[in-house]
Formats: sequence, structure tokens, C-alpha cells
Amino acid sequence: MRLVEATPVLQVDGLVKHFPVSRGLIRRKVIGMVRAVEGVSFEIARGETLALVGESGCGKSTTGRLVLRLMDPTAGSVRFKGEEIATLDKHALRRLRRHMQIIFQDPYASLNPRMTVGEILAEPMAVHDLHTAAERATRVKDLLDVVGLLPEHARRYPHQFSGGQRQRIGIARALAVNPDLIICDEPVSALDVSIQAQIVNLLQNLQQRFGLSYLFIAHDLAVVKHISDRVAVMYLGQLVEIANKRDLYDRPLHPYTQALLSAIPRPDPSVRKERVLLAGDVPSPFAPPPGCRFHTRCIHAQPRCRQEQPELRDAGNGHRVACHFYETLPIPEAASTATTSLGKLPERLAAFEAAKAARGGPAGA
Amino acid sequence: MSVDALNASTPTAAEENGLFSRSGVLRRLARDKVALVAALLLTAIGLAALFAPLVAPYDPYLTDLTKVMQPPSAEHWFGTDNTGRDILSRVIYGSRNTLMLGLVGVIIGGFLGGFLGILAAYYRRLDGWIMRLVDVMLAFPAILIGLAVAAIFGAGLTAVVIALVVATVPDVARVARGAAIGIMSQEFMEAGRAVGVSDRTLIWRYLTLNCISTIFVFLTLRFGQIILIGSALGFLGMGAQPPTAELGMMAAQGRDFLFMAPHIATIPSFMIFVIVLAANLLGDALRDVLDPRLQS
Repeated sequence: MRLVEATPVLQVDGLVKHFPVSRGLIRRKVIGMVRAVEGVSFEIARGETLALVGESGCGKSTTGRLVLRLMDPTAGSVRFKGEEIATLDKHALRRLRRHMQIIFQDPYASLNPRMTVGEILAEPMAVHDLHTAAERATRVKDLLDVVGLLPEHARRYPHQFSGGQRQRIGIARALAVNPDLIICDEPVSALDVSIQAQIVNLLQNLQQRFGLSYLFIAHDLAVVKHISDRVAVMYLGQLVEIANKRDLYDRPLHPYTQALLSAIPRPDPSVRKERVLLAGDVPSPFAPPPGCRFHTRCIHAQPRCRQEQPELRDAGNGHRVACHFYETLPIPEAASTATTSLGKLPERLAAFEAAKAARGGPAGA
Repeated sequence: MSVDALNASTPTAAEENGLFSRSGVLRRLARDKVALVAALLLTAIGLAALFAPLVAPYDPYLTDLTKVMQPPSAEHWFGTDNTGRDILSRVIYGSRNTLMLGLVGVIIGGFLGGFLGILAAYYRRLDGWIMRLVDVMLAFPAILIGLAVAAIFGAGLTAVVIALVVATVPDVARVARGAAIGIMSQEFMEAGRAVGVSDRTLIWRYLTLNCISTIFVFLTLRFGQIILIGSALGFLGMGAQPPTAELGMMAAQGRDFLFMAPHIATIPSFMIFVIVLAANLLGDALRDVLDPRLQS
């Protein structure tokens, strides 16, 4: 367990984002709201990795963008090292960008094709007036080295790199301003499986080296299990469960988390546990179901779930869950089995570590 | 995969189509025979027009009433017109004016249209206003605008340029907006914002540089049409005024002698035809070369 300081780097409280949907050609009328994020609260300690998981469309990427103020929240508060940023003006926001950065999902779309890698990496420093031009050039080379690329790559254009290399460039760009917090928006989902392990290891090494905090947005639970300290599970714009990684994987309390965990493929065909299968699709965030948002798909749903929205309740040891009946629900065995069989990822990571050790260099170098 | 192996990755031509940076574009263009001929023709006409005083064998305004309406001969390659002026010289000067009109119209129109389109894509609040303005411009045919401007300020090259700009702006704005909206949805725009890049840098370095080749190709394709509209306005008498040589106007003047001396009208008309055809072929070829999807 990493050393975790008391003051959180990031505190998110009651974050809400509604996107208005309007109709009409001349007189545009707002006919409703897509409730993308509805009252999300969490905090991230220094050096900690909080994973935010959920199905696509559950609002996890929106949450990441709200934290960075790439979008303006409808309501709620985001505090970075105690400073409220949900209401910052343009200039203060630009100063803040030095301390919070983001790594994107698609390495092919996240680099400007008209700029060389050197320009891409120097730009954040130039924007924030860090270093002289000569120092920036040196630092670009250092950054390339840190992420396992070569100094001469600075003169090339993004299209001359592979997906994994581009993601390294994206990571280097995020590191350029020495941030405290990095939002990783599905940083490995678009990558080849063989490259995923490299990038995950790189992220972990950088975290140890620079004391970074991560908000790691993902849907691959195997990757999340490897990299995160705590995990928050999101469903239809709300957190349904948040806990230490071990607690969550060993003892998932919310039926939705249980279903997610049981969906992890197991490589052992002899283990035939019963799976918790979810019926139907995620309801539209345009008209979320009343009460508990998960009740339409929950196998344990009861009348109370249709009427009353459950609060996040503490289940001990910082494990919080939003379910009326979690105390009485059975914890499916499938869930706990899943924790020991994460597909091939542990093997991949181990093999990679071994190869790395054999070469005697840092990860990815 | 080791880094040494990664270094071997080569750029694929299909991915990067820098119009101004890659020598590959010109080389691929030269491989297309039709495009090559079109480019050579346009260059030749352009150079002749540029150096008209040096190239033209006679003074284009010198009338000689002893040699009116002569058919092409060794002395006057393209013959003479109804006042005995050398048609070859007038065609050279006329191409100069016609090409200049087209270029000025396309450059000013392209700049304004591109600017409007990109602003509309970047500032979505302005989008509705800008595009409605564009729709209004689109509703008026260029000929009508030319007539109106000529009526207000008097016929002349200025009237034609304004009409051509008005004819160019809306289409360019639409194309630029479409291209820019596509770029806006790319993650690197968001990455730029997350880094703290200013609006101005985002608009120029991120947005404009990434859609400029689309706009450029479109303008090349439009160039022929713009010349045609310019010549039409000249033909209708709203453009250059006599005795200034301008291809459209020359065709109009020759019309009266179509049966006696058909070369007076047909030679300038043929010249317009050649310029427009060459511009269109070149535009098509350029689009093909720059569009990765059209590459085998």
C-alpha cells in the first residue's frame, strides 16, 4: 500500500451534469434533460488511484471532464487541494490546468496531426510559461525518455508512430507540466492487448516516481484490479458502490457490481459457477427510472426500490454502497472466484515485468 | 515490442497529406497525365498573362482600320477584330484580366468564407447567425449580385469582384464549417483545452491548419466556375468596360460579327473554355491525390 496523505488532492461533492435536449426550429424549447451525471461524490488522496468503472454511457467520461472543467457542471462542487474549481474564471482555470491533466482514450485522435511530437510536448510548458525555450527542448527529450521513446522522436509527426507509442506521447504531454492529478480516460481500451500491459505498467511507474494521483476511468475490470487502490462503480450517472479494491472484488455488495464482476471471463472451463446475468439494456438517462435506478434490471428488486432512491451508506471500512437491501443479499460465489481469475492479464503483466527485469531497464524503455 | 523495432515504423502516405509540406503530393499529381497537361496549360496561360506586355506581339488597344476582321494569318495568329486590333494580344491581356478576377474572387471569398465557417464551427453560439447569413448570400445568384452592385457603383471590375466574392463565400463557408466541425470532435481539440491553450491558438493551430487542405481543394475546384461567372458578367457588360480586354466582354463584342468573322467571338470563348476545363481537371486531380480514400 502506498503512502497516502491525509488531505485529498481532489474532492468531488454532489456533481451534477444535465444536458438540455431541445426541439423546434424557430422557437427552440428545452423538452428535457439528459441526466448524464447525477450527484456524484468521491475524493482522491495524494498518490492514490481511484478507478471509475461502469458501462458505456453511464457518465464516467463526463465525470472526468467535469473534474477538469472541460465542461461546466450543472451543480455540485469540485475542490482541487481545497480550492473550489467549479466556479473559477477563465484565467484561474488556465493556471489550474498546470496541476490537472488528462490522458485520452483514442491515441489516434488525441494528438494534433499538424504538430511535431516536440511541439506537442513543449506546448503545455510554453502555455504556462515554464522554463526557457532551451530548457523546454531538454525537457522534451527527458519526457520522451521517461515514457520510453527516443529523443529524435521529437522531430516526427504523430502519424509516424504506432498506437502504443502515441499513447506514450499522450502520457508525456500530460506529464509536461508536472501535474498532481491525471485523469486517465480509458487510456488502454483502444490499445492492442499486448500493448495494454506496457502502458498500465508505465502509468504505475510514473505514479511512484512523481507521486501522481489518478482518476482511472475504465470498463476493463481486470486492468482496474491491477492499477487501482479504490474503485467506484457508476450506473446511469450515479455511484452505486465505492470501496477499496480488495473489498470490492472480494465482497461486492451492490447487485450491479456483482453482475459486473461475474461478467469477467474466466480462463478455466472447469469452473462453472452461476453467473449473474443482467437482462435488458441500460435505461435512457433522458428518462431514468424512479427510485433506485438499477431496479429495472436488478434480480433482487422489491417494491421499495421502485419508489425510494437509496443513499450511499457506509458498510464499514470505507465501503459505501447505494442499495436498500445490501445487508440481506447473498454475495454470489462467482464474484469472489472472479478475483482469482482475471483472464490473462496477470500473466501478461508478470511476463512483462520479467522481461523488463532481464533487460535491466525501467518499464517500457 | 522494443523501442528499436518501433522506430522502424514508416509514415504512410495515406495518413498525412500536408499540402504544403510533403513533396509527395506534387509527385503524385505529376503521375496523373491529364492533371499534368492541365497544370502545364494553366501555368503557360498564367505566365503569358503575367508577362503580357512582353509576350503580346501587338498593342491590344491599337486599332488599325485598314485591317479589320482579318482571319488568322501568319501576321496576326488569331486574326483581328472589328476595329483591327490583334486578337492574340487581346486574348493575352484578356486572360490576364479574367484570371485576375477569378483569383481575387477566390482568394478573398475563400478567406472570408473559411473564416466564417471556422468561426461558426468553433463558437457554436455564432453558428446559427453565421449560417443564416450564408443562406441569405446563397439565395442570390452571382449574376444578380453583379447586376445590383453594377447598378449601385457602376459597372466595372470592382462590381465583378464583389459578385464573385459573394458567389464564393457561402459555399466555402459551408465546406469549411463541415470540415471544422469534424475536427472539433477530435480529442486533440479537448487535449489542447486541457493543456490551457488559448482560443486563438486552438482556432489557428489546431482547427484551421487541419482543415485548410480541404478548403484549398474546394477552392481549386471552384476556380473554374468563378472564372465562368466572371466571364458571364463581362459578357453581359457589367464587368470590364471597353476598350479594356476581358475574355467575356470580347466574346460579347464579337457576337455581332459571328457570321462575318466567327473567330472574333469564338477565340476568346475557346480561351475561357480551356481555362475552365484545365482548372476543373486540376482541381479533380488534386482532390484525388489528397483524399486518402481514393488511393489504391
